[in-house]
Formats: sequence, structure tokens, C-alpha cells
Amino acid sequence: MSNKIRKRNTTNDSSKIWWVTFGLLCGATFVTRFYKVLEPDHVCWDETHFGKMASWYINRTFFFDVHPPLGKMLIALSGKLTGYDGTFPFEKPGDKYENAKYEGMRIFCTTLGALVIPLTFLTIWEMTKSLESTFIGTVLLLCDVGFLTLNRYILLDPILLFFMSCSIYGAFKVRTLTEEGLQPFSIRMLAWQVFLGAAIASTISVKFVGLFIVLFVGLRTIADLWNILGDLEKPVSLTIKHLIGRTVTLIVWPMILYVFFFWIHLTVLSKSGNGDGFYSSGFQARLEGNSLHNASAPRVLAYGAQITLKNHRTGGGYLHSHHHLYPAGTGARQQQVTTYTHKDDNNRWLVKPFDREIVSGVVIVRSGDLVRLTHVATGRNLHSHRERAPLTTKHMQVTGYGEDGIGDANDVWKVVISGGKDGEEVQTVKSKLMFVHYLQACILTTTGKQLPKWGYEQQEVACNPNLRDKNALWNVEDNVFEDLPKVSFEVYASGFMERFLESHAVMFQGNAGLKPKEGEVTSQPWQWPINYRGQFFSGSAHRIYLLGNPVVWWTNLVFLAIFFVVYTVNSIRQKRAEAFGKPIQTGKEYDLLNAACWNFMGWALHYVPFWAMGRVLYFHHYFPALAFSSMLTGILTEYLLKSISSYLSQELGRTVYHCAIGVIISTTVYSFYMFSPLAYGMSGPLAHEPNSTMAGLKWLESWEF
Amino acid sequence: MYFEFVTKDGYLTKNDKTTPDEYIGDSKEKDMCSKKDNAMEENIKPPTSLYLRLEIDLVCASLLIVALITRLYNLNEPNFIVFDELHYGRYVSLYTKGVFFFDAHPPLGKQLLFLAGRIAGYDGNFTFDRIGTPYTENVPIRALRLIPAVAGSLLVSVTYRLMLELSCYQWTAILAALLVLFENCFLAQSRFMLLESIQILFGLCGLLCVIKSTRKTDAASVIWLCIGALSLGCCFSVKYSGVYTYFLALFLVGRQVWRQMSIPKSGLFLILSSLWRLAILFVLPLSVYVGVFYAHLTMLPKAGPHDSVMTSAFQASLQGGLASITRGQPLHVAHGSQITLRHTHGRTCWLHSHAHVYPVRYTDGRGSSHQQQVTCYSFKDVNNWWIVKRPDQVSLSVAHPPDAVRHGDVVQLLHGITSRALNSHDVAAPVSPQSQEVSCYIDYNVSMPAQNLWRVDIVNRDSEDATWDSIRSMVRLVHVDSGSALKFSGRQLPSWGFHQHEVVADKILTHQDTVWNVEEHRYTKAEDRREREREIVTAEMIPTTVTQLTFWEKFAELQYKMITHAPDAPHGHMFASEPAEWPLLVRSIAYWLSPNSNAQIHLIGNLVTWYTGTVSVFLFSSLLIVYALRQRRACLDLPPKASQKFYDAAYILFLGYWLHYLPYFFIDRTLFLHHYLPAYIFKILLLAFVADHIYYILQLSKKSRPLTNLFIISICIWMAYVVLTFKKFSVLNYGTTDLTENDLMNLRWKDTWDFILHKKG
Repeated sequence: MSNKIRKRNTTNDSSKIWWVTFGLLCGATFVTRFYKVLEPDHVCWDETHFGKMASWYINRTFFFDVHPPLGKMLIALSGKLTGYDGTFPFEKPGDKYENAKYEGMRIFCTTLGALVIPLTFLTIWEMTKSLESTFIGTVLLLCDVGFLTLNRYILLDPILLFFMSCSIYGAFKVRTLTEEGLQPFSIRMLAWQVFLGAAIASTISVKFVGLFIVLFVGLRTIADLWNILGDLEKPVSLTIKHLIGRTVTLIVWPMILYVFFFWIHLTVLSKSGNGDGFYSSGFQARLEGNSLHNASAPRVLAYGAQITLKNHRTGGGYLHSHHHLYPAGTGARQQQVTTYTHKDDNNRWLVKPFDREIVSGVVIVRSGDLVRLTHVATGRNLHSHRERAPLTTKHMQVTGYGEDGIGDANDVWKVVISGGKDGEEVQTVKSKLMFVHYLQACILTTTGKQLPKWGYEQQEVACNPNLRDKNALWNVEDNVFEDLPKVSFEVYASGFMERFLESHAVMFQGNAGLKPKEGEVTSQPWQWPINYRGQFFSGSAHRIYLLGNPVVWWTNLVFLAIFFVVYTVNSIRQKRAEAFGKPIQTGKEYDLLNAACWNFMGWALHYVPFWAMGRVLYFHHYFPALAFSSMLTGILTEYLLKSISSYLSQELGRTVYHCAIGVIISTTVYSFYMFSPLAYGMSGPLAHEPNSTMAGLKWLESWEF
Repeated sequence: MYFEFVTKDGYLTKNDKTTPDEYIGDSKEKDMCSKKDNAMEENIKPPTSLYLRLEIDLVCASLLIVALITRLYNLNEPNFIVFDELHYGRYVSLYTKGVFFFDAHPPLGKQLLFLAGRIAGYDGNFTFDRIGTPYTENVPIRALRLIPAVAGSLLVSVTYRLMLELSCYQWTAILAALLVLFENCFLAQSRFMLLESIQILFGLCGLLCVIKSTRKTDAASVIWLCIGALSLGCCFSVKYSGVYTYFLALFLVGRQVWRQMSIPKSGLFLILSSLWRLAILFVLPLSVYVGVFYAHLTMLPKAGPHDSVMTSAFQASLQGGLASITRGQPLHVAHGSQITLRHTHGRTCWLHSHAHVYPVRYTDGRGSSHQQQVTCYSFKDVNNWWIVKRPDQVSLSVAHPPDAVRHGDVVQLLHGITSRALNSHDVAAPVSPQSQEVSCYIDYNVSMPAQNLWRVDIVNRDSEDATWDSIRSMVRLVHVDSGSALKFSGRQLPSWGFHQHEVVADKILTHQDTVWNVEEHRYTKAEDRREREREIVTAEMIPTTVTQLTFWEKFAELQYKMITHAPDAPHGHMFASEPAEWPLLVRSIAYWLSPNSNAQIHLIGNLVTWYTGTVSVFLFSSLLIVYALRQRRACLDLPPKASQKFYDAAYILFLGYWLHYLPYFFIDRTLFLHHYLPAYIFKILLLAFVADHIYYILQLSKKSRPLTNLFIISICIWMAYVVLTFKKFSVLNYGTTDLTENDLMNLRWKDTWDFILHKKG
């Protein structure tokens, strides 16, 4: 009886301690995150991009960005709700905000960034059910200056990290529920799975690195299902039920959400803006203010029509020519042909059959026809011949040749509709056309390279002997012909799904195009875990430098190595125990190691792929991995301390245990205090000068504060 | 080749369980093929002295003979340069002449080709200028193509042995060997001076030996592992992609060690047994690799066209070339030294200045200092000369003894022709605005103080007061006022800078482009003290021997260059393909087109095998998943032995396939179909294994007898198709048949294949 009461008392006590710890950490989070949150009152680092994009959302003008839309939409929403009117230009870092209401957006981002800490607390608790691990792991993350800095500005990272933490929390909550044996379709189970699904969809809708968290949750789910399947007392149907439940909540539901976010994105951005040029004619027809919006043209192309031809390459321009010749030394001195991204009268071409000047009546151009294209303004024909193109020497030069539309046999091009049959009618906008030179058997293409000054920095047009050129697709955009009935461009305007897919194609191309240029110094993955070099957020009098707390980071690094050793030794010990038929150890320690293992996997998933990426990388790409790494350190610390104290006498063991935890926490907190000016702003001389406030803290030569 | 010598010292007392492989002592020639039955030996009482045993595996031998016939037939045809023979032939010529060249691939394959050429008496006097040039009399083309062809033939027998080792039915092994034999892409790749067949042969051989070793104990295991390790070392010394095969072998041995751990034996035993395995597997391949490079560097003592890729020190260690210029120049850079400064790593260029100034305003509106330009120029020029000066001394002549500049000293650099000092200041550089501009400056303009002091930071110093040596020392010139380092930015200046390369001063010091070294060097001689000067100069001369670099220094530098070398392969090559296109054979590669007919050579696979192979990968994956799930529910479908065999195949063939295939998705380079071949051989083996497994399942139950027969018949029919397709497409491998447009259209089974036709008329 008394025993029972004592037990209840201890559970009461421990739950009280739990709440006190949780409250304490929440309080600390609140204080650290919101202290001086509105300083500096100028644009910091990438705020210039995301602030700008928020303005565009508020003004509803279309733009192009390599990231998916959710993060930017949330920033815009928070700005709108707190009275930001979308007029501040966000031109470059360092611009004073003056009267612009940036506070709402910054506080919104900071709030989400701050919520990461309590979520981490809950996550580690869910993984281990051990307060010590939870506390240490959370404190490490709380006291990391880099994490603090990154989460206090109008950036995508706080939003990303918030949704990421939700996903991890959700994943382990679902694991706990599964282990408790909750029925697959029970309300609680489904509710948490729906939460998890929403979290992963949101993560990947903020930045594509969210893909790694999707993979992580995927692995977690497979592990859950595998465990359920392995329980031979339960029927297989249980696994199948779980499988169905998870397919719906973790695959179908996130996909719907993801598409929905894009739907909002495309619906909100209804006005023409600076991103139009990246998209196809059909896409542009949807944008108010674009010349294709509400325009009308004949549905098919007939001989005698005046047209403009748009290249299909991302950001491809219109086929263009002008009264200037190629300079001496670059092929024949004939009239230049280029692509030009702006709309201009020099983009107009007249379509003629190859053998006649005038066609009577309406004759439709069909795939496989031989045509000539005459430049309307200068009367020269589109022409190619065996001369090198100006920049791409393997291709042939394309020129304007002849007078008043009379040229020679090298002006003849065969029109082919890509993926169409011979004899198919050429349609405005919809048909993807290829122009094959009849005599040289090469294909009209643009290489995307900029011509020098003599070509007015327009893009090179050439004739590629390799007919499989992916950039050789063109479509008719304007089509001026009087004798055919006009249809509204509405017909060509892409539907939602087409625009959804197109914006993805453009985003991936944009992402792949973010290559470091020759000689450019970029951050490299090996530098990240060792906290090699940071990133200035704000210069001048109020310097802010994104750099991890070295104590936290280097501890994390050491613990990653320790984990590797511990895990290997443990596996070998287990294997040996198996050999001699000893029982395999289970229990608290095993659970801790298992949780550590999952964190290690999360860390590896968020770090290793960067080694294989060719694109430009930045220091802040490491922060998702850091979250896992800190949790790992927390858990492993407890594991190690428990193991060590188990070798000592009970009394001594407990003393060592508590002392060690005390030392760890106090060191971390003190280092945070020392390095906090990095986040809250430094002024005065740089750290390598003796009278600086940060003197003595420049532990690595490569740090720049 | 197909027998084995076994030397025995009488210890051979037979016990019934051993198989012939286990008591091989020192066999001179390891068998690739050994006979199945050993009944004969059981009866013979072995003699107590040396004896010789001869075993011929008829199946294996006949496979090899057929393979040799197909691979060697008309080997000298076409007598033209075919595809990459262009490169490899060129390298063979350079080996013959001993001229140094740089290539991003390791040298063993090229050395083998050279060896064959040398034995046949090739003199190296043929210029491999472009694909399609006819060979002249002096090129022993048959010999040069022999090694890849023989390697390609041996591949067939090795496949056979490997499948037997995986305890497949003999018929399966034959099937696998036949599939390799009748595969057009291996045929095409074996018939010319190309390295893939050699690489794959070494890889599979190594794997075969390693597998044999994991199944044996004691001495036999050690020997097999050694042979395997050597072979694997050769494999990645031919082409770096061979390293995936090596990883696979590491994994297999690791798996063996892991499994041993569950055997109740002493810990010490386990540690020792895993240690020697790992030691063999690490040490032997690496020594092969290093040895191959040792041979490479020894064989190529002369300077040649490629040596500008290497550092000055490396160049100077070769005969001729830079060494002939720098021979006899003073070693220590001193006050008054006249030097040329070379950008050490990456692009070859020298620090340069000329009497032109930066434009006042750039096109983007930024202003410049309007001072004299400093660039990096890729050609030797009188404007590349600079004079080293101590800031506090006025006379430029070299003192006696020379006042040598040491690590940490602060110097000025005067441009030789214009005698202005190298200067940098807080003005954005023309093309890289994040860095500081570097200019040549003299104190005319009062508004801008000169900032022309540079600290000499010797990167590869031995001690803190190391002297600055010509050629050998790699220096970083750190601008004293700003702490930035002189750096080659990699960008080109526009026309006002004559398209020379930009030089800047950059905050980030430890970049490889901030490293420079003195190349040419002489002391300034004052007029009046001419006699004494000459004395000084002769006293400080390096002896007239070439600069010596140790092998390890050369090796390390070559490795570094090979890793950092960015291939400038043209993007958008006509016949390039992407990894995702390979399993369905979307693209072929045109290797050669006859100048006078439509006879041509293509690298193209046997479509029937190719597609079935892809299907088999899916089949195998689904089998793997099904078995795993069923096992989790404690349903054991396969008897333990079959299950063991199945998982072995999974770890060797299935994993091998993905290990050789997946990495290409992350490689950012122009890729071709032949990069897929190492993975493809695993796929063919997997295909044979899947057939083996299906047959095994079918024959398990008596009831499915008719089904089994049906299966065998369909395999036979399918095999007939494979052979027919092979025959049909072999015209594209031999390149001796003139093809009409119609023929080519008939061969064009996929729209995406491009064959070439001469234009009529």
C-alpha cells in the first residue's frame, strides 16, 4: 500500500520535474530568441531575397525562384497580416528599413525558429523517455549561437527547421503509438499520422532539402512496418492495415498538400512580373499584364503569316535579326541572327513556301513542309551554310541572307513538329517545332551563349548538325494572319497541372544551373562540421556573423566519432554473445543506443548527400544535420555516463554522473554567453585586435569576425 | 594456359573430403579452369617428389577458343584509327619515345598496350591525329589490339568459372559465358585499343579469387586472397572505375569476417584472421598501384607537350623542356633577383604586367584605380620578368654574398620593363569585385599612397627561416597592408586586358590559386662589377644536373593533378548518353566510319540480352523482397543451402551491379555507353543466375516436370535469338561489310540509334 503511494509520488515528482525543465527551457528559448530581435533595423543577408519575394506575393506579381513556395508565402502572409504593404524594395543587404513594417515578418520567422527548441525537447523525450538526454540535447541546440542567428531573420531556414522538427517529432510519436499497439485506424493514430504527413509536405514545400526528411520518415515508417510484420502473434492483415493507413496519410495526403501549396502560389501570382521570361508562351498567357494575356491569334499557321518564334529552352528568347552584320573573322559577313528575350519588331518573320513568293488563298503549314522564313523588317531570309558559328565552333553559322525575300537554296528549312506525324497542322503556341536545314541537315538552335558587344550581348543562334539537340525546339507565339478566324489565347493558356509541372522543370533547371564559377570560393561540405568558416549576416557598425558555438559543434563532432566506435563495439559484442549463446542485452541502454542510431542516420541523410552535389553550397545547409547531431550528443552522453557509472560503486557512480552533467551544461551555457555577441551584434574593432570585445575568441584563423 | 603445374613435396596424403583446389602448394600458373572429376587422382598414390599435374577443362577451353576466334578474327581490320585509339595510340607512341604525358586515367592499361607494341617493334612514329586516319605500315596494329582482344576472350572463361564458384549448375555457367561471348558490346570493346575489357577481366578475376578465398581455409585461402588482391590492384590501375570492384571485394571479405564472429572461437584468432585478410587486401593492391606509377614515371623521363600541367619543379625534373632553360640558374632568390613567377597549380601562366592601365570605369559602372594592369599571361614574354627588392635598399644589384630572401621577409616586386612596383589596395578587382585589385604603381599620384609591400610566405618550407628557392619553393605573396594574398582568379579580362587572366588579392589565403613559384631566375648584374658578379653567379650555380624530385614527390604531385584535373570534355557530344538511358540501350556510340563505303563500327549491345538483363534485375529484386518478407513471417521457402546461394548471388552480383552503376548518377561529366560495361557484366551474370534460380524452383516439385521442360525449351529458343541478334549486329563490330541504306535501316531497331551514311554523290 505504502509502496503504491510512493510510486505515485515519484511519478508525480518526476512529472513535476519534467514540466519544470520544459518550462525552464521554453523560458530560456523565449529570452534568447527575442532579445534584440528587431536589431539591426536594416536588411540582413538573404532577407534581401526573401523580403523581395514577400513583396511580390503581396503585390501578386509573378517571379521565378529555385525554391518551392510555402516558406515565402508564409513570410508574405505574416507581412500582410502585420501591415507590411509590399512597397519596400529590399534592394541590398544593409538598406535601412525606415518606415517599412518588417517587424511582423521577422517576429514570425523568429517565433517559428524558437519553436524548434521545445519541439526538439519533445522529440528527444519521445525517443528516449529520459529527461537527462532530453535536457542535454536541447540545451546544446539552445546554446548554439549559429542556430540562434540563423533563426532570427526573414529567411526560409527558420521555417524549414520548424517543419523539420515537427516531422521528426511526429515520426517518433507515431513510433511510440505503434509500439503501444494502437489500432491502425484509431483516431489518435490517424491524427498523428495526418500531422506527420502535413509536416513533411510543408518541409519539402519550403526547400527541396526537405526531401531528406521525407526519406528519413520513409525509413522510419518502413522500420515500423517491419517490426509489426515481425510480430508473429499478430496476423499479416494488421501489417496491411498499417500499410494502407500510412500510404494514405504519409504519401497521398502530403502529395495533395504539396500540389495545393503550388496551386495557391500560382493563383496568388496572377500578374505579369519579372519571372515571365522563364516560362513558356502558354504559361505567360495566364498572367495579367503579359502581352499574351487576352490576346488572340489564328489557331493554325498559314503561309503568309507574320510570326514570332520563341525558343523552348528555359529563359529562351525570340528568334531575332537586325541590320547589323557579323564582324569580319566570324564566318560570312552577313546579317546577324540571334535570340532576344524582349519583345521587339525585329522578332517578326514571314512564313513562305520554299518555291513561291506568294500563296493564294489559305494554305496551312504542315509538319514536313519546306519553308523559308523572311525577316520582316530587313527582307532577308533565315539562312545557314558551311561556316562556323561565332561562338560554338562545332555548329554552323545562321545568318540573314538575300534581298526582299529572294535568296538561295540555303534558305530552305524543313518544319517538323516534335512528336508529331508528317502532315500534321502547325498550331500556334502548342506545336513544338524543329527547323531542319534542308541542304546541310542541321537543326536551328540557340546555344544560350552571349555574343560579344558586336552582337549586342544577345544570344547566339546556330545550326547544330546533331539533330538531337534539346534546345532546338521553337513555338509560334504571335501569329498575324487576317484570313483565318482568331481564337483567344485563353485556349492555349496552360491548365494548372501543366503549369505545376512546368514550374518544376524550370526550378530544377534553375537549381542545376547554380554552379560555382571557375575560381569562385564556395563553402565545402568538409568545412561545415568543424565550424571552419562562417557567414556575415550584417556588416558595418552592427556586425552579425553566422558561426556555430565551437564548444557545441566540436563536442558534436567528437560524439559522432564516439557513436561510431560505441556502435561498432556493441555490434561485435552482440555478435560474439550470439556465438556463445549468451542472451542479447536489451533494456534502457539498448533503447538509448537505438535512438542514437536513428539520429546518426538523420545526420548522415542531411549531410552526406551534399558531398555529391555539384551546385553552389553554403554553410547554412548544415543546420538540419546539426539538429540531429545535437540530439545524438545528448542521448549518447547519457548512455556513456550510465555505462561508466555502472562500473563504479553506486554512491561514487551517482556523484560522477551528476557532476559530469553539471559540467557539460555549465560549459555549454558559458560558451553561449561568450559567443553570443556573434548573434546579438558586435561593434568596434575586429577580434584579432587586442581591444576588441571579442578578443581571444578567434580560435580559428579562418573565422572572420 | 589451361593446365596447372603443381609442385608437391610428398605431404600430400589424400583424405577424401578435400577437393583439388585445396592442396595447391605453389602452383606457377593458377588455374582458371580446373576439371570437375578428381576420381583419377584418388587412385594414384602421389609420388614424394615434384610432379606435374595436367588438367584441362574442355568446356572452359572450348568456350575460350570460340571467344578467341570471334575476338581475333580480322583483328587488323579496319586499318584506321577507331574512336579512342586516338588517345591510347598517342599514349603508346609517347611511351615508346619516353616523353612525359598527363592523363587523368592510371597508366597500367596503356603500359600493357605499349608492351605489346614494343614486342612487335612499334617505333612510335605515327601521329594519331584524328579518328579515321589510316594506319601506315610501321604500326603493328594487330599486336596493339591483341591484348584487349585476348582479355575480352578470357573474360568468357572467367565468367564461366565465376558462375561455377557461385555453385550454379554447370549449364548456367555455360549460359552466362555464352551470353558474354555473344554480346556485341563486349566484342566491339575488345577488338580495339580500349581498356574496358582489360579492366573488367582483372576485376572479375580478382573477384573470383576473393570468392574462392572466402570459401577456403588456411594456406589456400591466403594464396587466393593474394592473387585476388593483386588482380584487383591491376583493375583499378587500368581505370579508376575499377575501384568499385575493389570495394565489392572489400565488402565480401568484410562479410566473411563478420560471419566468422558468430563462430565460437577465441577472440585472438578472429582478430588475427581478420587482420591478415585486411592487410593483404589493403597492402597488395596499393603496392601494385604505386608500382605501376613508378614504372610510369621511370618510363617517361623526357619533357613533352603535356608537362605545362605540372608544376615547375616537376617539369624541371624531366629531360629537356624547362630543365634546359633553368639549368644553371641560381637557387636562392635574393635581393636583386630577376624572376618569372608562375601560377603553380591549375592553369599555366606567369605573373605579367604591361604599359596599359585599367579603364577608368568598367561597363557595370564601377570605377578602377586607373593604374597599370597586372595579369596572368599564358605565354613566355619579356613582360613576365620581375625584380625582387628589399624595401630599404636602393641598389638593385645582387650583393656578395647574395642577400637571400627567407620565409616571412617583406619584399617589393618591381616589374622589369616598366620598373613599377606590384601594388594592391582597397579597390574592387575588375572581374571579381569581391577581391582587391592588383596593379603596378609608382608614387606619381599623391592621392593614393603606395601599398607595395608583400610578405613572402613559403608554403612548403622545411623550417621557419627557409630560403626562397627558385622552382622548388611554393610561395604565397601576402599583401602587408590588407593581409590578402596574390591570387589567380580564374577569370579572363575583357578586351581592354587583352583577354589575359585576372590577378587579384584575396582575403582567403589558403586557396590553391594563391600559390606561385619562381620559374626562371637570374641575378641582376651591375655594370661596374661585372667580373665579380660572374663569380657570384658561378658560385651559386646549381650543378648542371637536372632538378631531382624523389619518386614520392612526383607521385604525390601526379595524384594531386589527376584528382583536381577538370576534364574539358565537350558537353553535348553527339554520342554522349546519360546513366538513366543505359539500361534500355537508348544510345549507341559510333566508333568509326569507313571513308570509302558505309562499313562502320558501333558500340552497341545485343538488344535481346540487354532487355532480358534489365528484366532480370527487376525479377531478382522482387524475389529478394518476397523472400525477405516471407522470412520475417518465419516462412522459409528455400532450403538453407539454396537460400545461402541466393543471398551470395545477391551480395556479389546484385550489389556488384548497382555498385558499378549508381555512382554515375552523381558524376558531373560527359558520359558514354562504355562506362556502363563494368556494371553490365554483373547484370549478365545476374540474368544467368535468375534463370538458374527459376529452374531450381521448378525442379523442386515433381509435378512441375512439364513446366521445367518448357522452361528449358524457352531458354534454348531465347538463346537462339541472342545468337541471331549477335550475328546480325556483328557487322557493326567487324566493320568489314559495306552496308546499304536499307541494311542500316534494318539494323536500326530503335529510333534513337544513329547510324551514319555517306551522302550520295
